[in-house]
Amino acid sequence: MINRLEATRYLIEQLSDEPIIASCGNPKFDLFTAAEKRKANFYMWNSMGMASSIGLGLAMARPDKKVVVLDGDGAILMNLNSLTTGASNAPANLVHIIWDNAQYQITGGQPTHTDGKADIESIARGAGFKQALTVNTFAAFKAALTQILSQPGPWILVAKTDASPAPGRPPKSPVYIKNQFMEALRGA
Amino acid sequence: MEWPRKIVSLLKANDICSISFIPDSVIGQILKAAEKDPYFHFTTLAREEEGIGIITGEYFGGRYGVLMMQGAGLGNCVNALASLAIPYQIPFLMLISQRGELGEFNACHVVMGKAFRRILEALGIQHYTVNREDELETILGGAIKTAYTSEQPVAVILTTALVGWKDEK
Repeated sequence: MINRLEATRYLIEQLSDEPIIASCGNPKFDLFTAAEKRKANFYMWNSMGMASSIGLGLAMARPDKKVVVLDGDGAILMNLNSLTTGASNAPANLVHIIWDNAQYQITGGQPTHTDGKADIESIARGAGFKQALTVNTFAAFKAALTQILSQPGPWILVAKTDASPAPGRPPKSPVYIKNQFMEALRGA
Repeated sequence: MEWPRKIVSLLKANDICSISFIPDSVIGQILKAAEKDPYFHFTTLAREEEGIGIITGEYFGGRYGVLMMQGAGLGNCVNALASLAIPYQIPFLMLISQRGELGEFNACHVVMGKAFRRILEALGIQHYTVNREDELETILGGAIKTAYTSEQPVAVILTTALVGWKDEK
């Protein structure tokens, strides 16, 4: 199992000013802990499931920038149709990472369908993504990231994570978050 | 029938180059009027809600978008509007093809037809209705301007008085 915060920290080390869309709940908490001062982070406080769609829109509008989405298993299961839209448009600059701990961790650990029969990599391939990977260890995550960040996408990376707590809390003003993120994008 | 062409030219005049849509027969006529113009980027949605996310991401990237859908699709968008577009202040136009009012043949469109303006009002979204072709420039052009001034989504409703209704009984 991968520790989500450790993996988030490693991801940040590999990036410069690429925009990151972080889904509501623990993906954004750990992104804030890993990179509090980083301006190109977009923190979602709700609209569960929309991270994949926001990332797709940004990737299509800014083909010059690699766009990273940090999603969760519960969130992507809520917007599975977005995978079909993403695969059909297939922007080469889209990197969609899904932290999959097979549970709704933030609400008490109730199992999601990936705890049972659902497999997100297979769903992504079925939706039309040609490049989709699943990793279970930190070493495999690092190796996958090296490949993903050096080769054209779009990429889906499902990382099987544990349920370590995520105590970080980003700013709570949506407009502040948006303005800081857009300022970073304009400068980039 | 000039309204599809007028809508397309108003979108272009207001720098809206990206069209995210779930088609119906009305939206289809607008798409047809726009399809040959390389200015526009088209995204076929699988569900209306993802359009809110896509347009948000495009806006971050400096591209302005319109969400085209039937009134029923608004029901699929409610939480993304309430918890993404409105609090993060994402301006865009929703172009809504109205069902369930004048000339409706399908009972399963009538309830949403009665509800959807009140859904917009409950969310605090400004909405304007176009019944005649000669209103388009004022209402559509004005609504787009207000959306960007207020940094909020704004809805423009195309009624069957403008676009006609199906012959079916």
